[in-house]
Amino acid sequence: MLSVEIEQAAPVPLHAKFDCRPGELVALVGPSGSGKSTLLRCIAGLAHPSRGRIGCGDRAWFDAAAGVRLPPQQRRVGLVFQHYALFPHLDALHNVALASSRPDAAGHAAQLLDRLGLQGLSGRRPSQLSGGQQQRVALARALAREPEVLLLDEPFSAVDQPARHALYRELAELHRGVPLPIVLVTHDLDEARRLADRLVIVDRGLTLQQGTPAQVLSQPRNARVAELVGIQNHFEGVFRHGDEPGWGRLQWGAAGGPQLRVRDKRRIEHEAAVSWVIPAEHISVHRAPPEGPNVQRARLAEALVLGDIALCRFELADGGATVQLHQTTAQLQRGELVVGGEVYLQLDPAGLHIMPRRGLQPPH
Amino acid sequence: MDTAAAALSLKLAALTALVLLPLAMWLARWLATSASRARPLIEAALLLPLLLPPTVIGFYLLTGLGGASPVGAWLADHAGLRLVFSFEGLLFASVLINLPFMVQPLQRSFAAIPGSVREAAWVSGLSTWRTFCRIELPLAWPGVLAGVALTFAHTLGEFGVVLMVGGNIAGQTRTLSIAIYDRVQAFDNAAAAQMSLLLVALSLLALGLVFALNRRNPLQER
Repeated sequence: MLSVEIEQAAPVPLHAKFDCRPGELVALVGPSGSGKSTLLRCIAGLAHPSRGRIGCGDRAWFDAAAGVRLPPQQRRVGLVFQHYALFPHLDALHNVALASSRPDAAGHAAQLLDRLGLQGLSGRRPSQLSGGQQQRVALARALAREPEVLLLDEPFSAVDQPARHALYRELAELHRGVPLPIVLVTHDLDEARRLADRLVIVDRGLTLQQGTPAQVLSQPRNARVAELVGIQNHFEGVFRHGDEPGWGRLQWGAAGGPQLRVRDKRRIEHEAAVSWVIPAEHISVHRAPPEGPNVQRARLAEALVLGDIALCRFELADGGATVQLHQTTAQLQRGELVVGGEVYLQLDPAGLHIMPRRGLQPPH
Repeated sequence: MDTAAAALSLKLAALTALVLLPLAMWLARWLATSASRARPLIEAALLLPLLLPPTVIGFYLLTGLGGASPVGAWLADHAGLRLVFSFEGLLFASVLINLPFMVQPLQRSFAAIPGSVREAAWVSGLSTWRTFCRIELPLAWPGVLAGVALTFAHTLGEFGVVLMVGGNIAGQTRTLSIAIYDRVQAFDNAAAAQMSLLLVALSLLALGLVFALNRRNPLQER
């Protein structure tokens, strides 16, 4: 198991804590410049933080307190660089063989290249390979090291869309086939969601939240995480305890806004200012008022058609908040939804996630 | 044609390149990768021989290394070495004035190697020394050859410093360029022409080699 708990103030501020079990794929997700790559470099030994510990198994690779700082050569790490960093003067076989410590390095390299579908290309130099092929050579080189941890730094950013999908499949297969901790750095949330067992949301060097993609996306820990994971329906409000046990009331927006029926887990104080989110799958659109709680009358203000899908903006009749939802273009074409027309939105209390409005600092 | 002078010139050029190469490689790699604040100062100092008149460099070497100077006296007493009006002195001066010709192309070559390629080698388990031998040196190879060829050609053509430091001693310090000057002074234009032509041919060959090798740079294959 890889465990990381590090801190530094400069050159890039870091305050990170996460781990990755063998056979697990953890994605570090965050905007460009959030320190994800620096985290990866710290794990690989290419950068040293000022405080903390990085361990693999029962061995410390870095331990500021104990003065342990293993160089990259002494950490068994396979690292795929963002632009691959292949050795331009060597052919694919020698690029891979150089990282193998087996007596039969060339044979080992040839076997890895075959496994990654590069049969017949072992004599080519990087400049004679496509982006996707270069990526596979880089992956073969990382595996040739027989690593204890596999690190992937934005490995798909430099390949085109069709090659990317093929590579996703291969990474998924590799992930099933080798029981290694794999850490993937990406700014693409969609990619992270598709590939990772667990997401670690990173912003300005801080690990804000970690959990399964479903957890993070439906229950962001705070407003910044909600923003980073691209939850569109993200609102402010005021929370109040209700008369009925287990249920509370949420005022949508400013005073006088709609009142919603919400679960009360007794974690939020009465009259607390809150942020709240609701994933799109928990909002249903009706032409007639449906039965049940949290029904709001709204007007379809705008529909932006993007192929089969239309991005629809609904304006609440009461309070004026806007809700964004994807609807099928067919619904618009059949006249089920008309721009300017009236609809009823129902918000499922089960999907409604309320967060206290706290700053971005992690708990110390 | 003064064959002794031609042989001496070739010997001086070859030895200068040989002595300078390891020193320049170390310096160039440091300059290409270091973030030290002393770097601009050292880079400027290295370029000085290109700008200063040869007489200035010759003057400092003569006064700094001559028998009357403390360094010259110490060398003469302890190592039996005389660095003015001798081949050793000529070699020393030649190494010094050729620094920019060797360091510049090498530094450019080392700087052109992306930092991530070096790091990829370390992460692949290669020691710093193995990374240098297997990755950096092959990638910087065009710069190494360019540096050697430029140093060789420049040493063949050097006149001012050689005359100041070495004088004109046949078989010891009289190089081809000095011999040409000598022949012209003696109105022996035929010999001067022969030797001039030889210098032109050798220099052209060395520079042609530099350009030919620059076209085969693996870092430019994209």
